[in-house]
Amino acid sequence: MSNKAMNCGQAKRLLPPFLDEELSGRMRDGASAHLASCPACRAELEALKADIGLLEQAGTPEVTPFLVTRVMAEIRGRRRPVPRGFGRLVGSLAAALVVAVSIGAGVFFGSGLAQTSTPVAANSTEAAVGYVESSTADMYSLMSGGY
Amino acid sequence: MAAFEELVRRHQHGLFSYLYRMCRNSSDAEEMAQAAMVKAWEKLGGFRGASSFKTWLYRIGTNLCFNLRTRRKPTEELVETMAAPDAARPEQAFQQKVCEEVVQRALARLPADQRAALVLSVYQDMSYREIAETMGKTVRAVDSLLFRAKTNLRKALAGDRAKGVI
Repeated sequence: MSNKAMNCGQAKRLLPPFLDEELSGRMRDGASAHLASCPACRAELEALKADIGLLEQAGTPEVTPFLVTRVMAEIRGRRRPVPRGFGRLVGSLAAALVVAVSIGAGVFFGSGLAQTSTPVAANSTEAAVGYVESSTADMYSLMSGGY
Repeated sequence: MAAFEELVRRHQHGLFSYLYRMCRNSSDAEEMAQAAMVKAWEKLGGFRGASSFKTWLYRIGTNLCFNLRTRRKPTEELVETMAAPDAARPEQAFQQKVCEEVVQRALARLPADQRAALVLSVYQDMSYREIAETMGKTVRAVDSLLFRAKTNLRKALAGDRAKGVI
């Protein structure tokens, strides 16, 4: 395992996940060590914090108080095909169990979740002229390359 | 039905907030939030619990939002729909309004997938793994998206910073 110090290019690439507390182990320690000794990268980190702080400062409008009512009214108004006999019972129990577990477990399931590579049907090829669209380095390549 | 209504209540604010930042329009965001929740109800039988309900619901909302964008150009919405300014502190209210406009403009300049990742990270406080589940991408892809988003955000804010607006 490499113990060489991180350079500014590597450190700057890691600033977003560092700020988001997504780095761990050697990567995090290497970034921390570099920031402790590099005023330029520290300034870059502060600038990144300022950008995010500005976003956080901008609030969002309140959701209409009628959204829940509208959702439930639409659901109740829709006709759903009802499976017959035993299938209907199983389907109802399964749906109720899913909803109950989601609420009872505090909604969120935790670890061990598989990463999916199935892309969202999004137009991600849209490009703003002059904007960064690709990056050949990321925290994973830096990790495997021993930065 | 009552249990699902409880889930709707729990997630309505966060989902609307996310979709508002994506659609840049309160009306569209409400429409998308409603559509996402109804679709979630319809697909509930297919929810296997491999992800959290939140990321699953937000994924439905993300897909609806992206599909809406490909059908029509979203209308730009001014910040009049925000909460009424505090009359007792007009200067503060004005600064807040300026901030809103600057942020909306900057986010609007990002490609949709970068905007989605950034909004989920900043406003929904999602981890990279949760964002990956929501967007149907790998964690590595999310890391790359967020790096590009934050780099482009800096560029988008540069003009207003240079003018002293922010």
